[in-house]
Amino acid sequence: MSLVSRLALCAATLAATQGWADTPDGAALIGQDWEKIVEAARGGEVNFFLWGGSDTINRYVTEDLGGILLRDYGITLNRVGVTDTAEAVNLVLGETAAGVTDAGSVDLIWINGENFRTMRQGDLVWCGYTETLPNNALVNWNNPSIANDFGVPVDGCEVPWNRAQFAFAHDSATLAEPPRDMAALIDWIKANPGQFTYAAPPDFNGSVFVRHVFYHAAGGADALLGPFDQATFDAVAPKAWAILNDLEPYLWRKGETYPNTITQLNNLFANGEVALTFNYDASQSGAAVDAGQYPATVRSYGLTDGTIGNTNYTVIPANSPNKAAAMVLQNLTLSGDAQLRKADPAVWGAAPVIELDRLTPDLQSAFAALPAHPSVVQPAELGAAALPELQAEWISAIEKGWAENVGR
Amino acid sequence: MAAKTDPPAGPSSGGGRALFLLAPALIVIGVLFGGGLVAGAWQSLAPLLPGARLSLDAYRAILGDPGFPGALGFSLYIALTATMLSAVMATAVALLLRQTFPGRRLISFLVQVNLTIPHAVGAIGILYLLSQSGTLSRLAHGAGLLDRPAQFPELVYDRHAIGIILHYMWKEVPFITLILLSQMQTIGQDYAAAARSLGAGRWQCFRHVTLPLIAPALAAASAIVFAFCFGAYEVPLLLGPNSPAALPVLAYRVSVDADLATRPQAMAMAMVIAALSAALVLIALRAARRAMGRA
Repeated sequence: MSLVSRLALCAATLAATQGWADTPDGAALIGQDWEKIVEAARGGEVNFFLWGGSDTINRYVTEDLGGILLRDYGITLNRVGVTDTAEAVNLVLGETAAGVTDAGSVDLIWINGENFRTMRQGDLVWCGYTETLPNNALVNWNNPSIANDFGVPVDGCEVPWNRAQFAFAHDSATLAEPPRDMAALIDWIKANPGQFTYAAPPDFNGSVFVRHVFYHAAGGADALLGPFDQATFDAVAPKAWAILNDLEPYLWRKGETYPNTITQLNNLFANGEVALTFNYDASQSGAAVDAGQYPATVRSYGLTDGTIGNTNYTVIPANSPNKAAAMVLQNLTLSGDAQLRKADPAVWGAAPVIELDRLTPDLQSAFAALPAHPSVVQPAELGAAALPELQAEWISAIEKGWAENVGR
Repeated sequence: MAAKTDPPAGPSSGGGRALFLLAPALIVIGVLFGGGLVAGAWQSLAPLLPGARLSLDAYRAILGDPGFPGALGFSLYIALTATMLSAVMATAVALLLRQTFPGRRLISFLVQVNLTIPHAVGAIGILYLLSQSGTLSRLAHGAGLLDRPAQFPELVYDRHAIGIILHYMWKEVPFITLILLSQMQTIGQDYAAAARSLGAGRWQCFRHVTLPLIAPALAAASAIVFAFCFGAYEVPLLLGPNSPAALPVLAYRVSVDADLATRPQAMAMAMVIAALSAALVLIALRAARRAMGRA
């Protein structure tokens, strides 16, 4: 009896505390006065799901973004780290399938590419609100690499957060001159057995390495752009698998196994088991140096035939109960101050996604004065040879093909 | 006549009371575990995409998946090897710790201290110790036993799952030992002493007296260890090779595939793991009961 009444009391309290900043109804927010949205969000909370594998990124989100949200808006930011963004997508999918359409546990996801496509495929995304964010004015939606996420139109369903471009890293003390294009890399691997490997797809970073090989086999990215084409895939894939299978005997552990995650690959590199590593975010090699994981002589670098770049975004699931708070957080991530802080190599070192010439002169000069990390390749140098991302169907097909033909 | 001295709650109402007191635990197990199992089974049959209908397609798909038999075999190999080695070693340790010798308390404490360490932490410890850039490899290199640290034998990320099995033994030997010691405590020394006084040798005494008496506890503990080793995800992820992947690792990979249509396959793999674990646990417990009947 007392147990039952106590449970009922608990449930009532829970409902009451959860209830008062609830904003599950997206339609009521679109086009609404921004002040009203901020008022609706005040005192609430936002559950932000994002890849949790980087201490610098985690700290920026929890302390910088979370600190401002709490101070200026009274909103509590709960950062939920995931190994793979698909875990957050699965949560939304499972909840939606179970009929939870307005009280989901995910309010914001750091996302792009195939996971964004998955969410749109399952109709799990809230769309059409981006124009309502004041800082949306800083985004150049005429830039096709922002308006399209891995070839899929954004259509007001996501808010851009960062630009990222793939870079390799080497230790200049032990390997002075690393191979600087794809053909040279292949020759170098054969000449230095056991010194190279890559994380096995579907690891995000391993997957993008395999795409570089795919571009190389196709003679460039141009033939692969646009919607998935089975005939082109069938023509290119055998060449790519041949290159990778050819390399296997020269890889770490003779290619009998591959690191399961980028973290494992980075640890192999840090321990000197392999001579090269890579990351989709070039600034991560600087962060690893600052954390004492890599020696200070590590340098990240691009390839002369280009490395793949992307824009990454944040997305609000359709069943988020805290849409107003999530919008306030998204608007904050786009602000000149937050993008400046994020671009500081000591904080994160992620390239800004907003148009700098739309900022105040003060902020523009602050961006110009940002220090460069000696271990991180300059974004301008890296960006001089940037390759586009493929549409998600291509990526799925390449990952599946790799597992069947190379990673058996 | 004893009724007058019975406590207020008689045997029958005591049953109801026990049920009431157990209710919170039963509700947690029933709702969270049972509910999860039912939801998983349902999702393995019903694709989440609109317009899909109930079917066994996911089970057919995983049977046709070239990675599935390898993963199943790999997981069975890991779980069986780790369980058998742990059971044998734990029996030996328990027999030793039952003796009285100087330092027994300290050794008993040391044997059981790692029961509190989480598996993921233990696995990372094994990685630091046994990888080709790990402590042992560096010591061997420093001592001049190896020209390069990379010549150290492949004990982690290897296809024989040596690192995984070593980790499970390190973690599960103390667990089985603990259960065996408490069972031996209950049995006492009398049967063994009687056998010895009747002329049984050490081995005969162990084989025909002690082992049958501890067999039920050994089987039950081994069944728990097997079910854990078979279904665990984090240890093979941290210490295992990319291919073959352990079944839980493969199920996770399928569950995070970009294609929503593969979600039921991941759930189907999880159901296979659950069904096989349950079957083997039942077999082990039945064998234990039979052994107990004979003894």
